[in-house]
Amino acid sequence: MNLTELILELVLMPFVAFVIGLGMVLMMRKIAARLQRRVGPPLFQPLYDIVKLYAKRTQTSHGMVHDIGIVMAVGGYIAAETLLPMPGMNGIAEKGGLITLMYLMMVPSLGMALGVGQCANPNGSIGIGRALTAMLAYDVPFVIVVFGVAWHFGSTNLVSMIDIQQAGGISTWGAAQMPLLALAGLFTLHGMLGKQPFEVYIAPAEIATGPMVEMSGKHMGGLFVMQSFQLYTAAALYVTLFLGGGENWLFFIAKCFAVLAVPVSLAYLFPRYRTEDMLRLMWKWPVLVGLVGLAFVMR
Amino acid sequence: MSALKDIPVRYETPQTTGGNPLANVFDEFIRFCRSRSLFMLHYCTGCGAIELPPAMTSRFDMERLGIQPMVTPRQADILLVTGYVSVKTLKRVILTYEQMASPKYVIGICSCTVNGGMYWQSYATAKKLNDYLPVDMYIAGCMPRPEAVIEGLRALMDNIAAGTSDNWKDYYQRYDHYLANQQRLFGETWQTPTDVIGEAKNYGVIGPQTEGEHTRLLSLHKQPLEPLRMTLNAGRLERM
Repeated sequence: MNLTELILELVLMPFVAFVIGLGMVLMMRKIAARLQRRVGPPLFQPLYDIVKLYAKRTQTSHGMVHDIGIVMAVGGYIAAETLLPMPGMNGIAEKGGLITLMYLMMVPSLGMALGVGQCANPNGSIGIGRALTAMLAYDVPFVIVVFGVAWHFGSTNLVSMIDIQQAGGISTWGAAQMPLLALAGLFTLHGMLGKQPFEVYIAPAEIATGPMVEMSGKHMGGLFVMQSFQLYTAAALYVTLFLGGGENWLFFIAKCFAVLAVPVSLAYLFPRYRTEDMLRLMWKWPVLVGLVGLAFVMR
Repeated sequence: MSALKDIPVRYETPQTTGGNPLANVFDEFIRFCRSRSLFMLHYCTGCGAIELPPAMTSRFDMERLGIQPMVTPRQADILLVTGYVSVKTLKRVILTYEQMASPKYVIGICSCTVNGGMYWQSYATAKKLNDYLPVDMYIAGCMPRPEAVIEGLRALMDNIAAGTSDNWKDYYQRYDHYLANQQRLFGETWQTPTDVIGEAKNYGVIGPQTEGEHTRLLSLHKQPLEPLRMTLNAGRLERM
């Protein structure tokens, strides 16, 4: 691969991911609306929100670290997109691998923690404290799932994982070979998205959206961009590990949306858990299922 | 109806530059996005608040117009004041308004925000909201039904898309006028943590009436903001 092609892919991959992510935000809000028997937002609503937030005339910044925190939150995901193979575009996925991707997926939460810390709003501090505890909760089953998948395929290279799954057909897909790990992974995905049973760190009525409480204008716009990246990254990683990646764009996008539809549909049926209950739940069931799955994989 | 036409209407036509038809495309796109994405902070002071849940939920569904509730002033575009504002509440409403990011819009719902409504004779309520804050849209009624609320919001959306709803600039440009009314209610020592004049200078929306005799009082009483004292005995209320 020559340099021009590589640079083109590095630019295109985050951009395409962002566009798909906008669609996912729309799907999430549409599903919520339909479950509540509403019509829901129009087609370009996520785009309108982001353009409007970036076009605010007055900006409230609480200092340098507040700004850098948002840049870290968005930048972490932009870097993660270049490590996540898409149909026809691998970017630097072969050189990065699964472990680097896992690290990069934690950067946005830490960036948020930095940015929120400088706002000095007690609601924000409570929110980010809960968010980082939630990260602790879902990262344990996440690591178990990732370890099991890497053991099964004998590599942490995402490109070779996709090749193995696509060469062997559906019976060699991660979900068919290690269904228990796939189940635990789906549970972890739900926690990672921070959707309803696990959204106590946002809690709009109690702590006023927690980490987002002091974000206005461009900062909030950055977080909206981050959300669309987050939905895409979580769904695309699950598709890559368990559903054979994308043979072509049509299958890839269909799989990503289907994976995301599961936690999002479940989300609006539940109230929320407290942080310690989430920790207990996450460290009990997905970890248990994941460890049994791991035993089957390593036997 | 002929008398209605005689009322002078202030209307500034958007500036066009040099006959280039594409010059304002980007501005128009931004105005369109602003009108189609309104985050609403409802300051539910009175009975009008009860009409908002039906407007938001499945019967009337505001989200199809891009309007959704937000919970902090930093994130919001619209400040909805739904009912009478007592003098004590008005302080909080003004503090909330000044924390919002411009462009921001104020909507007064119910007759109480228009002229005091049934609380006209009360000594404790502010009668006209637009003496203290630049109101963009009044939705009159006691109380207005959800249809009326949505009608009012649609009218506001049309104004924003046309670029005529910029009363947030009026607050900066005639700050002395608004501050005079606020000081009349709250006393001469009234001040907010937000530096409105500094913001007006920074964003270039300063007007001839931004500063005046009442803003001079502001600098007279200005106290620097002090950080909260940190204590270690958590769980017990600290007497400050």
